[in-house]
Amino acid sequence: MLTQIITILIFVSIIGCIMYGRRLIQTEKVDAVFGNPERAKGGTHWVIVGSAAILLVWLYYSWDIAKGFYPKSANELCQVAKINESLLGLKYQFPIEEREFKSTSIIKIENKNLQKITAEIQNSKDLSNEQKTILVGYINKTKKLIPLLTNEDLIEMDTKIKISEMTNEIKELSSNFKKEDYPFETEVEKSERLKAISEQGNWGIITVRSGTGTIENTIEVPFVAETSKGLKFQAAAEELKKINDKFFKLRNHNPQFKSSIKGLKDEVKAYRKSLDDNEEIASDYAKNIVKIARRIEFASIYPPNALNEMQKAIIEFDDLQENEQAGLRLIDIVLFPSGTIVASGPSCSEQGSGRWLPKPSDTLNKFILMSNPNVGYKNIPLLWIEMIDVSSIVGFILPDWIADILPGEYPVHTSEGIVKENFKGKVLKVVTGDFKLFKIPVPYGHIWDSFLRVFLGLVFGIIIGVPLGLFMGLNRFAKGFFDPLIELYRPVPPLAWAPLIISVLGIDNTGKVFLLFMVSLSIMIISARAGASGTQLSKIHAAHSLGASKRQILRHVIFPNSLPEILTGIRVAVGMCWGTLVAAEFLAGTTGIGFVENVAKKYFQYEVIWITIFIMGMLGLLFDITLRKIIDKTIPWRGKG
Amino acid sequence: MKKLISFILGSIFALNLSITAANAAANEVRVAYFLEWPSPNLEDMQKKNFAKALGVPVKWTNFTNGGAMTDAMLAGDIDISYSQGLVPFINAVKSNAPIKLVDIAMEYGMGGTTCVTSNASGITKANGSELEGKKVAVPLGTMAEYVFDESMKVIGADRSKMDIIQMDPEEGAAALVSGDVVMACLFGGNSIKAAVAVGSRLLTVQEARDAGILGIDITSVTDKFMKENPGMLRTFIEVTHEANDRYRSGKSDMNAMSKASEMKVADMKETLSGFKFLTPEETKQSMESGNLDGFLKGMGTPGGAVDTSFLPL
Repeated sequence: MLTQIITILIFVSIIGCIMYGRRLIQTEKVDAVFGNPERAKGGTHWVIVGSAAILLVWLYYSWDIAKGFYPKSANELCQVAKINESLLGLKYQFPIEEREFKSTSIIKIENKNLQKITAEIQNSKDLSNEQKTILVGYINKTKKLIPLLTNEDLIEMDTKIKISEMTNEIKELSSNFKKEDYPFETEVEKSERLKAISEQGNWGIITVRSGTGTIENTIEVPFVAETSKGLKFQAAAEELKKINDKFFKLRNHNPQFKSSIKGLKDEVKAYRKSLDDNEEIASDYAKNIVKIARRIEFASIYPPNALNEMQKAIIEFDDLQENEQAGLRLIDIVLFPSGTIVASGPSCSEQGSGRWLPKPSDTLNKFILMSNPNVGYKNIPLLWIEMIDVSSIVGFILPDWIADILPGEYPVHTSEGIVKENFKGKVLKVVTGDFKLFKIPVPYGHIWDSFLRVFLGLVFGIIIGVPLGLFMGLNRFAKGFFDPLIELYRPVPPLAWAPLIISVLGIDNTGKVFLLFMVSLSIMIISARAGASGTQLSKIHAAHSLGASKRQILRHVIFPNSLPEILTGIRVAVGMCWGTLVAAEFLAGTTGIGFVENVAKKYFQYEVIWITIFIMGMLGLLFDITLRKIIDKTIPWRGKG
Repeated sequence: MKKLISFILGSIFALNLSITAANAAANEVRVAYFLEWPSPNLEDMQKKNFAKALGVPVKWTNFTNGGAMTDAMLAGDIDISYSQGLVPFINAVKSNAPIKLVDIAMEYGMGGTTCVTSNASGITKANGSELEGKKVAVPLGTMAEYVFDESMKVIGADRSKMDIIQMDPEEGAAALVSGDVVMACLFGGNSIKAAVAVGSRLLTVQEARDAGILGIDITSVTDKFMKENPGMLRTFIEVTHEANDRYRSGKSDMNAMSKASEMKVADMKETLSGFKFLTPEETKQSMESGNLDGFLKGMGTPGGAVDTSFLPL
């Protein structure tokens, strides 16, 4: 329902905004010439069109529009897919979707293989002439097997009868299929089917395995036919499957063929036995010839016209079922782009873009589910708040050796078994955080961890990179000394460090933050240096002649002048850090958005993968917007001088 | 404006067609396999015997994990996956991928996939419950995760109380060496070698075998290929079993196999010694009521994913 409304809203807004935009262009033509920056200002309506278009593409290619408007279509298409599945093997025998008969193509391939092996034998230097004649004799015998199968006079009565039986079965199915009330379901069958339907759920359901908190992939397309149209296809598919199995059990082996192939096999066997160990090559060739003969034996090769009736019957049924699909066919083509529903054994599934592009509605449902702190992902919520005692923070900040360096000894228990606290022991309790204060809420979870890693990497990068960059921009020694170092490491893609990180820094946050620090550091150094060396000399001279000290020049002239460069550098670094974060969390992780994505990939949880992608996009955007606000606040003069 | 609309419609049309074009039947069989994971039929691959037996060219592509094999099969780039791990297969079937299990490539003991605890932690099978609350490295979604789960049941430790870190085997080994984790579950000769240097196996090969922990690699095939070319599939499996037969009777060409699996002959022989290649009869038994069947049921696999009709019995 919601999907329907949203789809219609999207269409309305796109059309409305385009019309508004066109009218605006016409009125503006008069007062703004091409090239006037005013023409790029505003334009909220185009933002709406852009976002709506993205959403529309998503809705369309994830087949959510189909689900919204025709919720039963997947179930019906599943039944159609069952027919396709049953027909696949049979159809493949005939030039219906292929260019030629299966028999024809097999004969072609095997003749080619026989030619190839003949040429190999003739040109072989390891074979004696006598062996060559014998082997070529076998090849000729194998060649002669084919006409025994394709000769219409030789085909057995029994085989003919079976083929016509199957043909009649297909024809009967076709005539039944046309009938309104096919498959003549009884009341009992119907009630059983209705029961199965009530149990199978809807298209695209998600369940949570309670307790473990893991999200399982479940049946995405209901399997049992829910509509009368679907039921028809389901029943026909079952009958076709039986016919299909019968056909593949049938062998066109007439007595002449049987005796010739047996003769050939025995002859080759005897010949191979008679060969010595050093005549292995001849033996191998003989073996390969028999393999070709056996392939011919097991392939469904029939005389050219023997299956004509059957082919007609299959084509007739195929056309019939396509006609019967009617509107469903159109839905399949239009609303199921890049793929369709495929039946496979006891389940139907979406194959094509619907498989790897989850529906917005499903994604939203799963996101809501995962946002629940009790579910989360792998027992850790996406973002939640934990009450933490301030004492543990105090304990984390104060180093433990403070207690150690105090004079005196730690308390020892008395002979009565009582421990009496002394001052040194009390200090130890404080520095290790072993006391109670008030509790404060602290965020935790996958999103928070990822955010913190990026933030820390960035902060360290700025703290070290900016002063160093400024120093390098102002001092010959610093520039000369650090330049080769930085220029050498800067072009290295940050991920190149990744394989070393675990061995050197371990699997905790240190390694990941360090990787992100490496990313932001070089960017910050370069931008701070460019900012410092780009300061106009006249401004420095002016400050100098007004009596400013070195520190004052640095603080009031050079630093403000390089701020635009530095802030732009930070913006670039944020983007790079996000890019590296996912890979860093791929390495080894228990938390983080990249970890979630990596694990979801292993379990084919496409919804989760897309959720992580969106979360990262949103967080990146959030960082960028914050920075833009900071830039507007701190350097309002940028781009105006 | 008209141009824009026609462009958009055109590209939608092209996108919609792209999938069907990718799946068009090709006159070759595309097989996925692993390097450094030897099997007797790689000799036939090296000598192009598969192409001779199937009558069409066979293209072998190597993969690094079973999940990628599934992805390639679903994208229509691979027809048969040889020696795909059972866990990735089960994950794929659980997400309704249209692929079928048609043969067992090999069964193997814990020799190739195992959990190693570091010596520094002092944790052994006897005090295994001490793992609770500690960090362990596990490559999730692989056979190693299964081995981890089963081992924890054997030693009586609660998985949910551990800090499980998702790590590929090479990194798991590195983390064990640096002391970041107390246990790493891994597969692959080199990783295990590195891990055992600073630790020991939680369960010895024999203990694991007694506990019924074993790995199974399988042959899986796309539904489409199975339906369209049953003959080729049967031949493929037949040639594989012939090669297994040859290996059992000691007639395999080890040099060809080592070349195909890109391993040294000695290393390969050591890996092979942990593998058990089943006869067609054993395979059928395992698929219907034996190890494989128990494994599938234990992992809650939906039924109908196994087809024994292609075995050369």
